Amino acid sequence: MDSADIPIKNRLKQKVLSHLLVVDDMTAHGIISDKDWPPLIDCFNNKTLMKKIFKPLASLKLAVVVILSIGLLTAIGTFVEAKYDAYAAKKLVYDTVWMYGIMGFLAINLIAVMVDRLPWKRRHISFIFAHIGILMILAGSVLTMQYGLDGSMRVGIGEENNMVQVANTDLVVYSSFDGDRYSKVLEKEVDFFLQPPTEKNPLTIPAFEGEIKIVDYAKYVVPSRRVVASESTKTGAGLRFQVQNSNVNEVQWLVQRKPNQLAVQNFGPAQVYLGITPPKGSGANEIYLTPQGKDQLKYTVFHKDSEKPFKTGVVKEGGSFEPGWMGIQFRVLRYLPHAMEDWDLQPLEHPTPLTTSAVKVVFNGKEQWLLMNDMLKLFTDKGVYLLTYANRRIDIGFPLRLKEFTVDRYQGTTRAMAYKSQVAVPDFGETEISMNEPLKWKGLTFYQASFQEENGKPVASVFSVNQDPGRFLKYLGSLVMTLGIIFLFYFKRMDFLALKKKEQSK
Amino acid sequence: MTIMRRITLLILSLSFLSLGLQAEAKTGEAIRYLPIQDAGRIKPFDSFSRETLEVVYGKTKYEGRKAHEIILTWMLSPSAWQSRKIFEVRNFQVLEALNLSKDQRYFSSDELFGTDRFTLLRQELQSKRETKEKLNPYFQALQRLENQFFVFSEVASGRMLKLIPPVEGDGWISVADFNEAQQASFLELTKKFVALIGVVAQGANSADLDKAGSDLDTAVGQFREVAKANNVAAYSVDTHINTEVHYNDFHPFRWAYIVYLLASILLLLVWTLNKDQLMKPAWFLMILGFLIHTYGFGLRTYLMGRPPVTNMYETVVWVSWGTILFSVILEKIYKFRFILLAGSLVGLVCLIVADMAPVVLDPSLQPLEPVLRSNYWLTIHVMTITISYAAFFLAFGLGDLGLIYYLRGEEKNREKIRALVTAIYRSMQIGVMFLAPGIILGGIWADYSWGRFWGWDPKETWALIALLGYLAVLHARLGGLVKDFGMIACAIVTFSLVIMAWYGVNFVLGAGLHSYGFGAGGIEYVSGFVAVHLLFVIYVYVYRRGKVAKLS
Repeated sequence: MDSADIPIKNRLKQKVLSHLLVVDDMTAHGIISDKDWPPLIDCFNNKTLMKKIFKPLASLKLAVVVILSIGLLTAIGTFVEAKYDAYAAKKLVYDTVWMYGIMGFLAINLIAVMVDRLPWKRRHISFIFAHIGILMILAGSVLTMQYGLDGSMRVGIGEENNMVQVANTDLVVYSSFDGDRYSKVLEKEVDFFLQPPTEKNPLTIPAFEGEIKIVDYAKYVVPSRRVVASESTKTGAGLRFQVQNSNVNEVQWLVQRKPNQLAVQNFGPAQVYLGITPPKGSGANEIYLTPQGKDQLKYTVFHKDSEKPFKTGVVKEGGSFEPGWMGIQFRVLRYLPHAMEDWDLQPLEHPTPLTTSAVKVVFNGKEQWLLMNDMLKLFTDKGVYLLTYANRRIDIGFPLRLKEFTVDRYQGTTRAMAYKSQVAVPDFGETEISMNEPLKWKGLTFYQASFQEENGKPVASVFSVNQDPGRFLKYLGSLVMTLGIIFLFYFKRMDFLALKKKEQSK
Repeated sequence: MTIMRRITLLILSLSFLSLGLQAEAKTGEAIRYLPIQDAGRIKPFDSFSRETLEVVYGKTKYEGRKAHEIILTWMLSPSAWQSRKIFEVRNFQVLEALNLSKDQRYFSSDELFGTDRFTLLRQELQSKRETKEKLNPYFQALQRLENQFFVFSEVASGRMLKLIPPVEGDGWISVADFNEAQQASFLELTKKFVALIGVVAQGANSADLDKAGSDLDTAVGQFREVAKANNVAAYSVDTHINTEVHYNDFHPFRWAYIVYLLASILLLLVWTLNKDQLMKPAWFLMILGFLIHTYGFGLRTYLMGRPPVTNMYETVVWVSWGTILFSVILEKIYKFRFILLAGSLVGLVCLIVADMAPVVLDPSLQPLEPVLRSNYWLTIHVMTITISYAAFFLAFGLGDLGLIYYLRGEEKNREKIRALVTAIYRSMQIGVMFLAPGIILGGIWADYSWGRFWGWDPKETWALIALLGYLAVLHARLGGLVKDFGMIACAIVTFSLVIMAWYGVNFVLGAGLHSYGFGAGGIEYVSGFVAVHLLFVIYVYVYRRGKVAKLS
């Protein structure tokens, strides 16, 4: 109730009364303090030192400025999110000093205004509740931010997982001398989004020979794979081939991760392998290509009805042979005795579901791109370095097994209606996780977030995994704040009735 | 149509209501009640036809003919429609790409799809889709065109007319896949339909019409038996079907706004000419409109089995309902009269907009996204938040009236302005009282189903910004920083934040987790609406400053 209410109170025909109402209402809100009210002028003289300090911080103008600043800053955040994505908005707006600063000001303002109103009266109840409620919510958020866990976990159907992936990114370097056993030599949290490395200011990792330098960061790139010849003899072979008949025309790359490690391309009814040929076929249509020296490959064709080779021979780059099924011709387009994969990157202005980020690595004078959540091998004369730039994965200490995954669809359509995961957890047993029905276990909560499909069939379920130590405080704060709002209306009514009664008794 | 006739019609419709929903259909229209599976639910053929015609033509009638007749003839003789202008294309860029005139809005299938250009555009759209980037208005328009083409050809081929339930499973059988007996029965139906159309075209007398009509109804009945024989349980949907056809026919929200229009006229007379004796009939009309509005809302709730607050159209209907409710309650308490006027005007505008812009505000009944399938949360979170918009909308309407008071003379209207500011203040308080808990409830739901209480998602952020805006206004008012004019200006200016939270996030930003409510279109109108009001505030401000300067 404020001065604008006067026309209604005209029925009471009491100018004084309405004035009292206004003052009372304002004090109830903590907007004007007792000192503004002549009868309580004594308070004015008892101002404590605390109050003197807090006075300027408790001003209403500051409150309005803080509220408007939060509004403005978060509004900018939503536009950043619309232009880029939620991660960019978080990095550029919500998780910045500006945001924390304003929130800090809000907290100071709220505390100061409460100190300023000391000693509290009964009519302050709603004001105290609402403000303390907001402070509790803020405190809860700080707890969540500091100690909470918020990540995601992908579990394939029939598989299990105990690692949660979070938004933090790490750069990890492993080294190996034999190519089999790796030891971690560096693990470092990096935030390339906000502090990208540059040519002038690279991130340097010392190595036994020379140094590994990260000299560039690309935020949004669409990668496409490319295979190039490698100078190192520790890399495997690469083969570009074509499978062709009147219906089929496929061109593919096969690259071995290490020399002699089998690489496979599966075409469904037939498989093509690059690597050592086994003595017997496995009962499928298979072609094995084994590198022989620098420029030729030995090929062996198995048919599904026999263990014995159907055909063998030697083929060179540009050469071809017929494996003897469905008139198919197999042609070797390119053969590299030592090959490695690299990426062609197409930079974009905005992120799309196809973009990822990448860093440029320089080692021994050679430049290579390393994609986010991918790895890169750097070969030296003596050994090999393995470099990863990836989201941090946290072990939750127990595995979550996805036993079954079902998608209900709206009748006669492919539109998902609901999806649920049947999961098993040690010591807990089996349960179902679905939208709006999470699993709570050992302080963690598992939510059904989404699922992955391949050829129209679900292959994996994605959970959001979360631990929130600030939850209780946030809920309590919400409750206290809501109570404050309710009290506001309740006490107003009481004040009004009391005054009316007083009026009538006169 | 004259107003008198509309009132008579309204009274007739209301008496029809009292007869219940199971009223007999007109002869020849049994076909409208035929169950069909489409877009994930079973609906009457009537709804299917209206929605399909809407997609292609942008309206639910074509040259005065009802949708179900049009849709059936598409299938019976697609070639006859080749040269008819039934495809609505509004995007100039698309028209340019197709080499078509920009003066027209409707085009024939020959014009649009007869050339290679359409194929090229489809490829362009497909490659754009493969990049998974957000589609801009041009590609959205292309997508609509592709959808129009798809829908028309699917109807023409009969693949979209899924009229018979399967013996097993849940995908219904389309006309294209009928077995022989089913085909025979459907053929009979179409023959009778063609006969009826012929009779209508000849302008024959009513007896012939009746005969042809009842023949068609009999054929429909026989077809229903054939369909039912396949799967009795899946075909037992009559109550819903009848209710839905009634909902389509009665069009409750249109009646509601007609009644609100009448109420607004009376209230304007009361307001401008002080015709106090009109207050009673105005109240009567407001309540009547509100009842029809509530009835329509109830029908929709029944049909969908959930509170209808999940897309823009539904929230517009719900918000206008809330505005009327709050205005009635506040009017009852304060008896200022203009509260009811503001409420009826806001309700009127909302419902007219909802009814006039079906392409932007989709009125069809759509199944829900998985995450929204929780009636409990949907009710308490979405309804609380959107009802707060209703209170702010009322404050906005009151703000407009307040500006008019200032133009009509600040001095002589001082009392009224003060009363008006009281009403604005109350509306804002009601709004805050719903919005703050609504946001918290949203946080709790998000915590419960996504695992975080607050994630700076654009929708929740803008709801918070709107709340902060109104909190700033209320605090500034209590602190004496904002006077009467300031309150009136704030009621209008701050509502822009609500428009951003309500419409802007879904239609302008189009980002975030609340992606189930996204849409396109209408940006120019909405921003125009906001701009006009902001200019109005500035104009009155300048006007008032000028006056004050003159006085001093």
